[in-house]
Amino acid sequence: MIKSIPSMVFRISLGVLMLLLVGILFRLQVVKGAYYERIAESNFVRIRRIVATRGEIYDHKYRPIVVNVPSHNLYLISGKIRNIQALSVFLQLHFGITREELVSLVFQQRFKTYEELLLVDNLPYETVLALSEKMNNYPELVIRSGTTRNYLYPNHFTGYVGRIDEKEYQLYRDEDYSLNSYIGKTGLERFYEVLLRGKDGKEIVQVDARGKSLELFRDEGYIDPLNGLSLVLSIDNDLQSYANEVFPPGLKGCIIVSDIKTGGILAYVSKPDYDPNIFMQRITPEIWQSLNVPEKPLMDRIIHASYPPGSVYKPITGSKGLETGVINRHTLLASCVGGLQIGNRFFKCWLAGGHGQTNIIDALRVSCDVFFYDLINRMNLDDMYNHAVACGMVNKTGIDLPNERNGFYPNIQYYKDKLGRSTGLNGYKANLAIGQGEVLTTPLQMNTFYAAVARDGLWIQPHLLQQTVGRGKLSREQVQPLEKHRLPWSPSTLQIIHDALWAVCNAPGGTGRAINVPGATSYGKTGSAENFMGRQTHAWFTGYIVTDKPEIVITVFMENAGGGGGVSAPVANKIFNYYIGNIEEIKKPAPIPPQFRTAEDEEEPPDEVEEPVAEEQAPAPEEETAP
Amino acid sequence: MINRKKFDFTLALYLLILIAMGCIAIFTASTTTIGEQSTTQNHWWKELIFSAVGIGLILLLLRLPMPIFDIAILPAFLLNMLALFLVLFTPPVNGSHRWFSFLGINYQPSESAKLLTILMVARLISKDHLSEFKQLLYGFGITIVPVILILIEPDIGTAVVFIFSLLAMLVAAEVPLFYILLLISPVISTVASLHWIAIVAWILLLAFLLLKARLSWVAITISSIANIFVALIMPVFWNTLKDYQQNRILTFIDPLRDPLGAGYQIIQAKIAVGSGAIIGKGWLQGTQKNMNFLPEHHTDFIFSVIGEEFGFIGALLLITVFTLFFWRIITAYTEIKVKERKIATAGILAYLMFQTFINIGMNIGLVPATGIPLPFISYGGSNLLINTLSVGVILKYMNERGFMK
Repeated sequence: MIKSIPSMVFRISLGVLMLLLVGILFRLQVVKGAYYERIAESNFVRIRRIVATRGEIYDHKYRPIVVNVPSHNLYLISGKIRNIQALSVFLQLHFGITREELVSLVFQQRFKTYEELLLVDNLPYETVLALSEKMNNYPELVIRSGTTRNYLYPNHFTGYVGRIDEKEYQLYRDEDYSLNSYIGKTGLERFYEVLLRGKDGKEIVQVDARGKSLELFRDEGYIDPLNGLSLVLSIDNDLQSYANEVFPPGLKGCIIVSDIKTGGILAYVSKPDYDPNIFMQRITPEIWQSLNVPEKPLMDRIIHASYPPGSVYKPITGSKGLETGVINRHTLLASCVGGLQIGNRFFKCWLAGGHGQTNIIDALRVSCDVFFYDLINRMNLDDMYNHAVACGMVNKTGIDLPNERNGFYPNIQYYKDKLGRSTGLNGYKANLAIGQGEVLTTPLQMNTFYAAVARDGLWIQPHLLQQTVGRGKLSREQVQPLEKHRLPWSPSTLQIIHDALWAVCNAPGGTGRAINVPGATSYGKTGSAENFMGRQTHAWFTGYIVTDKPEIVITVFMENAGGGGGVSAPVANKIFNYYIGNIEEIKKPAPIPPQFRTAEDEEEPPDEVEEPVAEEQAPAPEEETAP
Repeated sequence: MINRKKFDFTLALYLLILIAMGCIAIFTASTTTIGEQSTTQNHWWKELIFSAVGIGLILLLLRLPMPIFDIAILPAFLLNMLALFLVLFTPPVNGSHRWFSFLGINYQPSESAKLLTILMVARLISKDHLSEFKQLLYGFGITIVPVILILIEPDIGTAVVFIFSLLAMLVAAEVPLFYILLLISPVISTVASLHWIAIVAWILLLAFLLLKARLSWVAITISSIANIFVALIMPVFWNTLKDYQQNRILTFIDPLRDPLGAGYQIIQAKIAVGSGAIIGKGWLQGTQKNMNFLPEHHTDFIFSVIGEEFGFIGALLLITVFTLFFWRIITAYTEIKVKERKIATAGILAYLMFQTFINIGMNIGLVPATGIPLPFISYGGSNLLINTLSVGVILKYMNERGFMK
């Protein structure tokens, strides 16, 4: 047996370990002390973040909508401040940063004193030139070039980016955002933040003042940044621009143009609008004031607000009647004498003289209210509710934009809770039948519904993203499959409604006769919705045109603007005609710009030798080449 | 009741000196100086408070009658095991479940488990007339429970501390060395599995040593085969690990493989320590700390701050104090006569020494980064209290000399 004297074991171990430590320390501090002093002094070993290039946004012909442009940003390294008094004077004078702001920023950074703190974004280049000499007095200030976003036209769908704030930074802790990162705040920039952002890289800066590399690391520590994917939208810039122009000035509302075949949106206009570029710089109080006026330019009226739809809702009531068999194509209902007596109240129709007895097609053609008052009271409210849900009028469509609102349609339970009864609702139902009362829809839901009708009953989720390009090519289906379902309509119901919508635009007495599109067959429905926002009705029109196949669906909506047929339909008409007039141009597929071509694209045979659509401006320097 | 004649004033003095140095170090580590402005984080105040509480606890402990102390060990140990089990269900912090957080206080059960496991093991293996094999078995059995629970958290560094404590305690219990050899042989087999020559050489060496220890042929054969098995199974096991798991282990052994992650910290620590040269940059003047190149500089890397600001002289001074401190504990070990207390003292000695060596080694690039703090110096409430309390236990043992159970 080997017996040991434990205390000797302990003492020897202690001695050996401590001598080992002292020995290494000696080597480190005494022998190589000067070497490490030099390194420490120059602070030349540092991990620097390499910001990934954010993806850009294009229309379906690869024309730019949102691009990256170079910018100049002012940074502060608080650890290098010599004279905080002089610095604060300088910053106050040239950039309007107060002393309190400066002190507070430095305090926030007090445990990261070598990290560059962003002071001012996007300095105009003239400012950079003018101040470059003076900056030499302040080694703690440095100007770095970066990129910022340029939004080529005012709109409500791109949204905008901004610097990440405290709350977002905490929320996305695990996603590797730096304190100075851009993050999408609204719109597509926010919805597709993950795709657009890519992933930052890192590098080790390890060169001393003379440019000599310090061999501290076995190999170069370098992690490539992964640039963000760029988005190709279904939007057509020409159509978008035209829709923008024809929207009557001074009114509030929106225009949606969507493609029947794919469900993609071709034009997305909400008025009044704003220029997202204002968020790329410091927002002055004046600008902020101008954004907060009652007209609410920041509100996206296509999805952020739901309104009473008025008569454009009638086909939904009507189709339910056809489906349940309460009516057929020829059934005549109660005679319209300028209104209908329900209970102890006379519910008016818009035509004081009355329409007499009508069938479904005539009722839709002239938009008679009485027909629908009568129809809905022959049906169960909960059935009507379920039908509205199935037609997509209640739930969000799920468009690829954040903060979409739901629509609303009441059911029996709702009235039970609100009125304490579930009978005697005929008056309420009457209003619902013609899209008034508690019914609310967003303009997008309306557009999507009519697109489903135009598509012979197939409801497809509306969307802006068509595909991604750049570092990865993904189709919309690969990013997130589109929801599709069939409207609960039989083919005969569909046909009847089609015929009715045709009559609205083409037959005598049709409320949508303002629509006149040579070269195509037009269909549509008008609406003039009474509302609590003002005396005038909201003007609605939704319609679609068919050439040899269904083409596009347009919804025009204007708050408190008057009659749908008189005010909205003519606007839609202009856009229909523009589309037909330029249909060749719009539908011609654009050649893929060279920087986005992947290996598979190269295999396609080169057809007509044609110049790719000219870019409005030179590609930003950070344009990424295909892998 | 402090027995004037028996109380070990020297040890207590060393303890106080270490705590004082710790407070000074934390003050500078928590203070950043920009130009003329200095800001101090509140770690410093907390450290002072914890130090005071720790010393207060020692005084209480000294007053506690020994029998009560003895009785309390088992229930305390069991409670602690329960705590170790429950902590696995707390929300993870940085990927591991180590802390309980309530009322603003953080309690780390693995810390108190160190002391309680030592006391428990010492109690069990000190019983008279226990065969050495049984001693080994009990010691191992008791220790394995907290070790496994802590490995699940995961906290590998702390788990290893337990093993070293156990080894020291077995040595103190005068368990023959060959048993200890058997215990650690699988680890050596794992390392030896790197090359077949190493495996052969090691197995031969093992057999030879066991032979000299006059183990039965049966035992020698069994242990040799077991070790060969471990050595052979290692490469297979290695291959079953996924890439990222292999990477983690390799990076752990050689941090420079990951210059942007673990390697970066080690390099920064070396620069900080090395640049202190002989006399250091001066109190509060550490540039690496000020410019914040050093992450975690008030906890794991606090030695780097000392090295940077006080240079070789300062670092040497600190190591000298530690050496004197440990030497004194060893002396205390020899002066304590009660077997159970001797063994416990050995365990405490081992774990404090191990942590000190590993932490300083980490700061100078000798040892991979493990998250083990420097006793009495690194900031950390749980840590400081348990370490202080452990020394308090030794002081109590010394105080009670002459009062046999």
